[in-house]
Amino acid sequence: MPEISIMPHRVHLLSTEVGASVVMGWCVTLLLIVFCVVINRRIRRFTDTPSGFQNVIELAVESVYRFAHGKVGHNADFCAPVVLTLMTFVSAATLVELFGLPPATEDLSCTLALGLITFSLVNITALKEFGLRRRVARMASPVFVVLPIRVMTDCVAPISMALRLFANVLVGGIIMKLIYSVIPLVVPAVLSVYFNLIHVAIQTFVFGLLTLNYTMEATE
Amino acid sequence: MSVIGIIAISAAVAALTGVGAALGMSMATGRAVESIARQPEAAGKISSSLMFGLIMMETCAIYGLFVAILLIFVMPGQVPV
Repeated sequence: MPEISIMPHRVHLLSTEVGASVVMGWCVTLLLIVFCVVINRRIRRFTDTPSGFQNVIELAVESVYRFAHGKVGHNADFCAPVVLTLMTFVSAATLVELFGLPPATEDLSCTLALGLITFSLVNITALKEFGLRRRVARMASPVFVVLPIRVMTDCVAPISMALRLFANVLVGGIIMKLIYSVIPLVVPAVLSVYFNLIHVAIQTFVFGLLTLNYTMEATE
Repeated sequence: MSVIGIIAISAAVAALTGVGAALGMSMATGRAVESIARQPEAAGKISSSLMFGLIMMETCAIYGLFVAILLIFVMPGQVPV
């Protein structure tokens, strides 16, 4: 029976105790910052006819912008960078599983933080679009009675997103551990393509899609 | 019946949410394919709303699975065996 726990592993660091997932989160953040600085250096040498590395970057940025434009219209310029950042972090923090490290998204507090970022994005975009008075008025339409229900629905959204991402990553990890303990040869390599790569891609896409969908619902 | 046995059975019952989610997903996908066949020019809109619905159903299944996992890995430590 493999060692499985819902809570992240604790590690000692500078006379205090933090979760291993927190440390992994810092590592991934540092890595992404370095990556951003490198891209920023390379951006000055970008040409009008893209090739190689520039193609990949332009493809990612443009597809997210186009997708956001289809969902939230003129708010896309405000939302798309946040969504792309969230998606980059989610995929990077989960893909470290490939190296046998504990993914940062296997911690409920990490995914809840990501969900709260989504929640703030939705509300800030809606407030920018309508202003406080009209936002409340829209939430209370058509009858005043629906206001508390709408508020509750909005507040549950980040928790639902957090639980979804957390449970998906956790379950993927548990299934892989179980398979490793039963058949340690060849089979895990094939299945890990699904559970560690395609699964992560789907969850990243789902996170971005849901963020944009909630924003669309709040601003349309 | 031992406590561990009851926990195992309750986890199995919790995982039965998968049945409902699978039925919902199959119905939604079937209807989406039907409507795309009837009106192929609306394929983009249909598939994006299908995606949203599928995510919601998947969440339902994931909740069931999550409860099952909590039952299996957390409950045995909470009760005297």
